Amino acid sequence: MSLRLLRNGKAARLGDALSAETERQLATAPDLTPEEAAALDRDLFTFAEYDSEAAERTGYSNYSYWRSTMQLFWKNRTARFLVIFLGLLLLFTFVQPYLPGQYDPNLIHYDENGLIMKNLKPGESGFLFGTNKLGQDLWARIWSGTRTSLFIGFVVALSECVIGISVGVLWGYVRKLDKFFTELYNIVDNVPRTIILILISYILRPSMSTLILSMCFVGWLPMARFIRNQIVIIRDRDYNLASRCLGSSTRKIIFRNLLPYLVSVIMLRVAMAIPTAISDEVFLTYIGLGLPLATPSLGNLIIAGRVLMMTPSLRYQLIFPSVVLSIVTISFYIIGSVFADAADPKNHV
Amino acid sequence: MLKYICKRVLFAVGSLLIITATIFLLLRLMPVEGYLGAAYEKMSPETVQILLEEKGLLDPLHVQLARFYDDLFHGDLGTSWIYRPNVKITTILAPKIPVSLTLGGLAMLLALLLGLPLGVWMSLAKGKWPDKLGTGFIVFINAVPAAVYYLFIQLYGSSAFHVSMLYKAGDVRTWILPIVCMSLGNIAYFAMWMRRFMVDQLGADYVKLAVAKGVPRGKIMSRHVFRNAFVPMIQLLPSSLLLTIMGSIYVESLFSVPGMGGLLIDVIQRQDNTMVQALVLIYACVGILGLLLGDILMSVADPRISLTGKEGAR
Amino acid sequence: MNEPILSVRSLDVRFTLRGRLLRAIRQISLDVYKGESLAIVGESGSGKSVFTKTFMGLLDQNGFIAGGEIFYGGADLAKFKTEAQWRAIRGREIAMVMQDPMTSLNPLKSVGAQITEAVALHSRLSSSAAKGAAISLLADVGITQPERRFHQYPHEFSGGMRQRVVIAIAMACRPKILICDEPTTALDVTIQAQILELIKSLKAKYDLTTIYITHDLGVVANVADRIAVMYAGDIVELGTANEVFYDPRHPYTWALLSSLPQLGVKGEELYTIQGTPPSLFAEVHGDAFAPRNPRALKVDFVARPPWFDITPTHRARTWLLDPRAPKVEPPAHIRKLREEGAKLREK
Repeated sequence: MSLRLLRNGKAARLGDALSAETERQLATAPDLTPEEAAALDRDLFTFAEYDSEAAERTGYSNYSYWRSTMQLFWKNRTARFLVIFLGLLLLFTFVQPYLPGQYDPNLIHYDENGLIMKNLKPGESGFLFGTNKLGQDLWARIWSGTRTSLFIGFVVALSECVIGISVGVLWGYVRKLDKFFTELYNIVDNVPRTIILILISYILRPSMSTLILSMCFVGWLPMARFIRNQIVIIRDRDYNLASRCLGSSTRKIIFRNLLPYLVSVIMLRVAMAIPTAISDEVFLTYIGLGLPLATPSLGNLIIAGRVLMMTPSLRYQLIFPSVVLSIVTISFYIIGSVFADAADPKNHV
Repeated sequence: MLKYICKRVLFAVGSLLIITATIFLLLRLMPVEGYLGAAYEKMSPETVQILLEEKGLLDPLHVQLARFYDDLFHGDLGTSWIYRPNVKITTILAPKIPVSLTLGGLAMLLALLLGLPLGVWMSLAKGKWPDKLGTGFIVFINAVPAAVYYLFIQLYGSSAFHVSMLYKAGDVRTWILPIVCMSLGNIAYFAMWMRRFMVDQLGADYVKLAVAKGVPRGKIMSRHVFRNAFVPMIQLLPSSLLLTIMGSIYVESLFSVPGMGGLLIDVIQRQDNTMVQALVLIYACVGILGLLLGDILMSVADPRISLTGKEGAR
Repeated sequence: MNEPILSVRSLDVRFTLRGRLLRAIRQISLDVYKGESLAIVGESGSGKSVFTKTFMGLLDQNGFIAGGEIFYGGADLAKFKTEAQWRAIRGREIAMVMQDPMTSLNPLKSVGAQITEAVALHSRLSSSAAKGAAISLLADVGITQPERRFHQYPHEFSGGMRQRVVIAIAMACRPKILICDEPTTALDVTIQAQILELIKSLKAKYDLTTIYITHDLGVVANVADRIAVMYAGDIVELGTANEVFYDPRHPYTWALLSSLPQLGVKGEELYTIQGTPPSLFAEVHGDAFAPRNPRALKVDFVARPPWFDITPTHRARTWLLDPRAPKVEPPAHIRKLREEGAKLREK
């Protein structure tokens, strides 16, 4: 039997897919020969006890949405690694100022002769990442910048969620408002996101709050739409009609079906909002609508570094913040997208 | 179907009017003196008053808006006051638009030529290394801000290929890097979606029937799967066009391309409100038209959609 | 008796699913005779579709034939390795009609194009000749105005018409065997009868051998010469339609027939079979139906019952037919059927 299996190409590819248990299974007991059948004990031909439990045994255990989501997520090696890595990175980012030997990011350093220690190469005079043209410690600035960018990202994500969910619930639940909001959505959806960002930042003049406001503005609408769609789907399901006939209120139904889903949606948005927020920030900074240099952010560090791009020896001022930014954005993005797949009930076993 | 198209066009025009008004009114939120440029600080209050009145900035808002619409219908986008004082904006834009169009068009073409086959390849080699590499590429492009990797492309690309970092209209070699930059986002976009649509089609029942009929795999791919996967792609074309256009804002500035995108950044930095207004309007317009075109194309390409209109939000 | 046109011997089909092995077909042997109409009945998951898919090489990527032979036309289909080998069979010798006509057709191609494709595959006709053939096929399956319909798209057809188109595609190359996998399940009841009549008339006209896969006993009663009852990847009872309906011997067949509402007495509770089919990941010891059978014997849990012949055409795999087994009376409904069967035989 096993020889035949090996000749069949697909079986040969199975290789590691077979565990010890299934190996045993392959060598299944063949049917009884007529002699063996005749030799069976007469006693076996009496009735067996009927176990109704055994009849139902097929193999599916209880299903918990969160357990399945977390299991699926954790199975992905990259996501697993990145969560731990990112966790440590974030920890470090916020702990860094309290470590010994750290400088203030805006502090200008002077050497013994009273000259500004500008553009020092990484490693010189104890500056791990070197200094910029103002003599400020690049290491401190990069971590400070990461903190700022992350802060912006989180605030934007959470605000989007709060506003988006509130509006979305209203939109989906109150049928009269549906037409109005839908038209509003259609109109705003037509305008490219970048344009709105530029417009708002331009009108309100650049600052931290303007930045956050403009990003929230472009972000809450897709969120609201998504929530509204979910509510409409749940509301219109046939079994809910039946449930309503029996007396349970629509509100309760929506709550119970939506809540677990909602939490995973929020987590997803936060994860994906960080790369988007950083992206927008870099772009706006380039145009000149970003944060002032006194508040270091990954965006303005990179744009400042760009100016020195042409000098190979000074290029580190561009490369270091870029690398940190790339690591942060890629990690969040991958975690976000693996989580999105894991949280989708269709992918649960 | 004609009814559907008419309806969509009407809606698009309506959106346009509303958006135009919104942009116009929003910009009027800014201090009116700003329209006169930095120089106004040095002027006496009386001069400022006279100038503002001349330019019609002191009239009530609805009057200004009406005048604006009127100008628009006559094809007049206004006059620049700071960037190029007293020059009609349409004159300023005229030479810039073909440049942006050329580069943008070439970038789209490149994206289609590279992105679609990549997506198909990824779907066929699902789970194997081309899929994994492709996914890595897509993740990178989507996660890392374009603003960042464009810088590195400009830096290392120019030294690797021995071209100047900046664009020169005459030297076609300098066109390569900007076009590559503009196409990257779309290559990732097309590849991702093409892969998704291909996978969807590959698992479809009619493919199983085609196999059962005895159609050879190659023909199934070209005649059925690819054709069917490409149809929903059409709907994505306008969004990708938008991606390119928005991307051009940054790329043109980076590479000093004398196009519309670079212009926008310039006028933002110089705070020329009328120009910002005009350009933002144009971009918004392009957005609306793009989406409209996409819907129309879809209804043409998919025989199932021809008879019913698509109501509600997309 | 006829000679068999297709002979399956000890077929063993397995699937790899998430790293585990699943036995979908547990060594089935079956002969399909030329010109007959065989119905394979069973619950979802019994393996009926998988079984027939092996005849055309349509198993999913993760499935494979682990053992056994499928003899057709002098070749062993189970040994086929290349697409080219299968393409000589598919459509030309064996064709399949699938369950859902809505999704079986390419929505973006005209119906005519899809039929012509099938025609062109297996003959060397010019495109206009192929078109003519396609139009006559459409007429064959009962579609009016075939010249006009040729150019239309699937969504312009009703469900029943679409299934006719699928049948036309299947018949395009005059196959010898037509496998119908739940051909009427997705259709309205009124249309079901029409489609079955169509297949029957085509069978007569073109001397087909038809294999029906269904869970609907009503369909079986309508079309079948012979019935094979499948459970958990194995055939448990095989016989002519009369024998299986009026004199079933396997407890599962009893249960299946008993759950037909028509057999119930008005006012009584409907009969249901307790429990659910077994997980095919696990090893099955003995008779697969035993855990759900309140009248199972101890030996049912020990070893798989061999075939016991009841008549030359009727056999069942149940220890109840062993001479040592106690006499078990089938449920009341089945006894009624037996009486009716006896009455019919007297006539």
